[in-house]
Amino acid sequence: MDKRTNEEWVADLRAGGDQQAQALEDLRAIILRGLPYAIAGRIAPNSPESEALTEEVVQETLMRVLEYLDTFEGRSQFTTWAHKIAVRAALTELRRVRWREVPLPEMEMNDEGDASYRELPDSQASPEEQVSRAEMMKRVNRIIMEELTEKQRMAMTAIMEGFPLEEAAQRLGTNRNTLYKLMHDARLRLKKRLEKEGLTPREVLSVFEQSGK
Amino acid sequence: MKFKQIIQRLFAFKKQSPASPQNKIPADKSEKMQKVMAMLANTQEVELTCDEVFAVLDQFVEMAARGEDVSQLMPLIQQHLDMCEDCREEYKILESIVQSAT
Repeated sequence: MDKRTNEEWVADLRAGGDQQAQALEDLRAIILRGLPYAIAGRIAPNSPESEALTEEVVQETLMRVLEYLDTFEGRSQFTTWAHKIAVRAALTELRRVRWREVPLPEMEMNDEGDASYRELPDSQASPEEQVSRAEMMKRVNRIIMEELTEKQRMAMTAIMEGFPLEEAAQRLGTNRNTLYKLMHDARLRLKKRLEKEGLTPREVLSVFEQSGK
Repeated sequence: MKFKQIIQRLFAFKKQSPASPQNKIPADKSEKMQKVMAMLANTQEVELTCDEVFAVLDQFVEMAARGEDVSQLMPLIQQHLDMCEDCREEYKILESIVQSAT
């Protein structure tokens, strides 16, 4: 039965015994219908990895639903709330699997790295535009060095390299929520410093958007 | 020096005379700079955190599914989703699940 009202879901899950067991079984079936949306395109469907992940996520979701049942305020359908928990659990695991072999971007830059920089393909910008971009890059780099902490720089490097916030947070010994706050503080500091120097982010952006690549 | 190396890696800026050929910025570094500036342009003094957004994400998704103008009704949630790729990814999946059930 998955046509319970929110109140019925909460009551059944709190009831214990057979009533709770039946509700958990019904909720399990509902979560299983939603999980393919989280897994699609991330790991092969119907693979052993997919089946193992699905089972792990369902178990974790049911445990969390029971643990946090008192926090459900009824502002959405109960099943949407449960799906939300399942999606977070699934994505957390999928990100961990996807990024576990990828080291955080190296902080050191050697001579070889400098050389590869020079060998990279150039854009089609005019020489004048290239000069203004280089000058702007230098200016912004200086601001970043002066305004951000080492952790903020490391996080920014990781995020620019495509790391999920959650995964970058774990590598940096923090959690996603705290890292978001840290990055918000970093963005605010950079934005205010640019303003002090008479620049807006859009003006800087325009320097790098000029002409084609 | 270490800090400088970090920034060099971020944007691969290297000290050169303005007229030198090495002055040309590789496209990927330019794109990263653009990404940073786009984020700064969208940065607000007050922003919700991932936990705060997660707390109301189910409600937000259902409102959007009903066709309500969520960017007007819950602008801080929308702003966070614009800024945070992790939360946006979870939002889109939840949206697909809710839409499939209606």
